Amino acid sequence: MKFAHYSMPAMALFVACALTLPLTAIAEAPPSATPRSAEKLYASTCGYCHGRNVGPVILGRSLPVPAIEAVVRNGLNAMPAFRPSEISDAELAAVAAWVSTSAANPQEHGK
Amino acid sequence: MSGINRREFLGVGAAGLGAAAGLGFSEVARAAPMLAPRVSKASFARLLAEMRGVVGDAWVYADDQGLRSYKKSYTPDPQLQHVPVGAVAPQSVEEVQAIVRIANHYRQPLWTVSTGKNLGYGSATPATPGQMVLDLKRMNRILNVDPDLATALVEPGVTYQQLQDYLDEHKIPLWLDVPTIGPIASPVGNTLDRGVGYTPYGDHFTFQCGMEVVLPNGDVMRTGMGSIKNSTTWQAFKWGYGPYVDGLFTQSNFGICTKMGMWLMPKPPCYKPFMIRHAEMSDVARIVEAMRPLRVASLIPNVNLMMGAAYQLAMFNRRSDVWQGEGSATDEAVKKAAKANDLGMWNTYFALYGTDESVAAIEPIVRGALTASGGEVLTEKEMGGNPWFHHHATLMRGGLNLDEIGLARWKGNGGGLAWFAPVAPAKGDETARQTALAKEILGKYGFDYTAAYAIGWRELHHIIALLFDKTDPAEEQKADTCYREMVTRFGEQGWASYRTGVPSMDLVAAQYGQVNRDFNKLLKNAIDPKGILAPGKSGIY
Repeated sequence: MKFAHYSMPAMALFVACALTLPLTAIAEAPPSATPRSAEKLYASTCGYCHGRNVGPVILGRSLPVPAIEAVVRNGLNAMPAFRPSEISDAELAAVAAWVSTSAANPQEHGK
Repeated sequence: MSGINRREFLGVGAAGLGAAAGLGFSEVARAAPMLAPRVSKASFARLLAEMRGVVGDAWVYADDQGLRSYKKSYTPDPQLQHVPVGAVAPQSVEEVQAIVRIANHYRQPLWTVSTGKNLGYGSATPATPGQMVLDLKRMNRILNVDPDLATALVEPGVTYQQLQDYLDEHKIPLWLDVPTIGPIASPVGNTLDRGVGYTPYGDHFTFQCGMEVVLPNGDVMRTGMGSIKNSTTWQAFKWGYGPYVDGLFTQSNFGICTKMGMWLMPKPPCYKPFMIRHAEMSDVARIVEAMRPLRVASLIPNVNLMMGAAYQLAMFNRRSDVWQGEGSATDEAVKKAAKANDLGMWNTYFALYGTDESVAAIEPIVRGALTASGGEVLTEKEMGGNPWFHHHATLMRGGLNLDEIGLARWKGNGGGLAWFAPVAPAKGDETARQTALAKEILGKYGFDYTAAYAIGWRELHHIIALLFDKTDPAEEQKADTCYREMVTRFGEQGWASYRTGVPSMDLVAAQYGQVNRDFNKLLKNAIDPKGILAPGKSGIY
């Protein structure tokens, strides 16, 4: 194992951390069928590029919903395409409406 | 044919999906898919109907609109050879088995993807025409996370983001090891393609433990300890008994992996990222010589990256910001832009992991060795706030980001990216020869040397991002020719790819020799006699 060079006190600390873990985490998780909220979907997919110096800023620009949906499904230029198996039609409609009507976020930086 | 720029997009108004083709999304979106060699139009219609009976109408695609997101690709395809004829998205192992039975009956080839985000290697597109994408994204259950053993068992559609969310929600102090597109990529898909990340668990296949595989005859096989009745050891012991077969299901087409076990790294009490800045292109040989003993001895425990300046700049800049002349961007232009961003010509990222005491003990040793190589040793103290340092400091703790998608915008909005990744031993003189050869070939076609080196353990990956404008047919053709020349000429020197995209799988397979290729064919004929699983994957038919 890669931890072979760690000192014994270090290993003891790892063990101590492990003992505090919740036992419930071992249980099998149910299928992930719950739709993600528009905010969660934006933060965990769109927002990694748009607003973080990779893609253009898309919040606060009143972008038309059908155009957003078309870009997501087709993958415009450097942007990946996202299939219904990744982002359902309902999730896409919700996030497109949210992006279209959201105010600009001053923390974001576009490219 | 040209892509839409941002200004045009913002003015699209109510264009919508129906008008997308007219907006010039891509040439491939309009390509008429070709049926597989042994499938007639009538039998294709019948098999689609049967598949709809298995997964429902909503999850079978064979029309232009439904297939668009499956056709999107960053790699060169000037002859439009890598276009799927359909797609089907099952949600269970039983549905996969039923689809495999239908495919066998009609001899319909299936190109399996987990999330289809192998950007720069072909995304979800198949190696040969006529294949249906078998899209496993809907199989997205996290079946088990064992915080004591630090293991996970997941389905192919689980993304690194989903797994991270699960760990956060349950307050489990384990780290993921992510590739550069972690949020939208799958641990199963990346591991099966033998991808890498940047923590001490960076060689993903090394940290895989146990699989469930649907074989081409429809049987379900579990590897390692997974086939033992009442076993609780599936994710704890890799080897099982008898021949170790998990490797047969990586970079191959012998089965469909429907579950995979993996080991996760306990979050260390102390994590300290470093950057070593070197000023000259020629310095990379000295860096490798200094780094190798530290890496082989695991004093530096993670997959470390030596990032070339142009690669770094391409993440957050457009090419026109750096170079507007003819031909490849010059070293002088790149160096000037790098310096303005506090970057060197080579920027080496590694980290130390452990306790305060163990990191403090090792740090002087690595500082001494890397300073002696002529580099400036930098940490959060000096580089905090620098977006490149932040990017790598995030990756080296398994943090999620998509910063590197920015590479595909280097040549404007064109979105062309093909990874060329030959491997060599971790020796400095190999880097000097490789860099010279890469620059010569890229320069011949006017492309830039946007490249990095990574030391896995004893080997060196040369990671070259061939960046081009995919909306320009002439440039796409040029990129295709350039890529093939790199594969061929590096191969002549003994440097073959560890992984490649769908356009070049045959080319790379040929370099590994006819005996090896015949052996794979022997296995393929025995395991999948009708050749329904991903013909052409890694050059195996």
